[in-house]
Amino acid sequence: MSQKPKSRGHAGTQAELGSGGEEAPSTSRGPGGAASQGGRRAEAPPAPGPRSQKQLELKVAELVQFLLIKDQRKIPIRRTDILRHVVGDYKDVLPELLRRAAERLEYVFGYRLVELEPRSNTYILVNTLEPVEEDAEMRGDQGTPTTGLLMIVLGLIFMKGNSIKETEVWDFLRRLGVHPTKKHLIFGDPKKLITEDFVRQRYLEYRRIPHTDPVDYELQWGPRTNLETSKMKVLKFVAKVHNQDPRDWPAQYCEALAEEEARARPQTGGTAPTPAPSS
Amino acid sequence: MAEEKDCLRGDVEKGEEPVVTITGGACSGKQAAEEPMKVEAEAGPDACSDDLSCGEADIDPSLLELVDEEKCRSIRKQYRQLIYNVQQNRDDIVNTTSESLTEALEEANVLFDAVSRTREAALDAQFLVLASDLGKEKAKQLNSDMSLFNQVAFCDFLLIFVGLNWMEDDGRDALSDCDDNIVRSFWETVQKEATSWMLQAETFHFIFGSFKSEPSARKPRLEHRKRVHRMEENGDMPTKLRKLDLSSNQEATEKEVERILGLLQTYFQKYPDTPVSYFEFVIDPNSFSRTVENIFYVSFIIRDGFARIRLDHDRLPILEPININHVGEGNDSSSHCRKQGVISLSLQDWKNIVATFEISEAMITNSY
Repeated sequence: MSQKPKSRGHAGTQAELGSGGEEAPSTSRGPGGAASQGGRRAEAPPAPGPRSQKQLELKVAELVQFLLIKDQRKIPIRRTDILRHVVGDYKDVLPELLRRAAERLEYVFGYRLVELEPRSNTYILVNTLEPVEEDAEMRGDQGTPTTGLLMIVLGLIFMKGNSIKETEVWDFLRRLGVHPTKKHLIFGDPKKLITEDFVRQRYLEYRRIPHTDPVDYELQWGPRTNLETSKMKVLKFVAKVHNQDPRDWPAQYCEALAEEEARARPQTGGTAPTPAPSS
Repeated sequence: MAEEKDCLRGDVEKGEEPVVTITGGACSGKQAAEEPMKVEAEAGPDACSDDLSCGEADIDPSLLELVDEEKCRSIRKQYRQLIYNVQQNRDDIVNTTSESLTEALEEANVLFDAVSRTREAALDAQFLVLASDLGKEKAKQLNSDMSLFNQVAFCDFLLIFVGLNWMEDDGRDALSDCDDNIVRSFWETVQKEATSWMLQAETFHFIFGSFKSEPSARKPRLEHRKRVHRMEENGDMPTKLRKLDLSSNQEATEKEVERILGLLQTYFQKYPDTPVSYFEFVIDPNSFSRTVENIFYVSFIIRDGFARIRLDHDRLPILEPININHVGEGNDSSSHCRKQGVISLSLQDWKNIVATFEISEAMITNSY
């Protein structure tokens, strides 16, 4: 099997391109889909010429698979990775590929491909379907239940004015048995989880507060949080826990309302996937 | 503030002046709170007293330096002590409505009167930065108090929400000492509630699993993806089948042997005392491989002593049953020495035998 990351193909490809029996997976790129096994990049890349619908479809399928798997870790997918691993010399049609892949993801899986921040060239998958109560049981084992912890931290951040100090977070979590230095039964290393993993997944932002001694950091909402949930939802979560109405916190409620209105207004770019034109 | 500048200009190094402006600047930053106003007012008359001492210093700077060394050291020590104290009590100062911040500022102010050199002034500046940070935090506290969000209450409510209300009275660290199961159920309940407020995309996994993910995120994942494409159809299945085959083979062999033994015994019951021709028994005219299998199974039967093979007067092998009566005889002669026979059969041989013996159908029928 070719070890170059350029050679990609899947079982369907083999049958389709009639190269069954070959050991190396044939790539779906290459002139007219003919035998360019192993996708050797050392040779001159084939001239991109007009591509058949079939080839494009193949590429889109690969892209969808790639995106789904890359999303497993919830780390935003970089455009450069997409170019390097899947698209290769179909670079010129990347926007089209992305558009089709996004379409497919939405119709088949109900996931939206969104750019994390405008012009950041990283993408994430967001569920379009509102979670249903009954599904909670059916939801398979998705690894450690970190969303609970995340939601609590997000709630804390929002209720305390969109930014809190790390020390405050730990003071709070200590009461729930989560310590920054002690190994946790479920979360393992909670400090790493909150200050590294969640930050890498772009749920949180972790910044150093200047002039503090000993050094202290502050936590804020990250871009992914704004895409996957909203201030109103987090407020409702907090309210539900308190068994109260969200309006009992007028300042936060107003803030959440303002955000809702801002979202409802049709904005430029809004939340539709806008793949930047390939450079 | 201009006064302060002038009076210190006497024998002071240039470095002092920026320090003075920092002090002044910090003072103006605290205009919001009442207390700093008092400090500023106090600084005024104190600065004037400096005026007199500066005048004296003009006369003999070298002497001044020698004499003040001890004093400066003690001032520095006091500053450091003050800074340390404030840092230690930071939480206390910020969160409570005590006057400790004001007191610290006043203390620093007193110390500053004696300051005449850069080193101490730098320490003073450091202290002021710290104090102003604390002041900013206190101001922030004022804001957040208005929104009535109490963290401690949130914590307790979380526990109630999950249903662990009896834990409330345990004080701090409620969840750290208790049962693992309780901890797990707590987080699972919270998780369940939390996920209903987020639009998280479920993670995608292949049903038949994938290869074990390696620590590094990207490259191995690619290979895993490729391999999964190619081998998912082919790779997993054969290994599974092989495993099944092995285990089932064991039982299959025994089952087959028993089945054939049954057939053999049925035959012997039907035709008692008539040995069956070995070849007629084992050979399947339609399948060479089945013939070989039959020979294999019959060999077990013979090994286990349920049948006997010997050559008849035509020097052709025949199978004979071993009855309980015969067991005695048979054991006497053959039990002491094990006899071995090797039968080799090639495709051609098989065909010849089928032709010679005119075997039209297999005696050993298929079980399926």
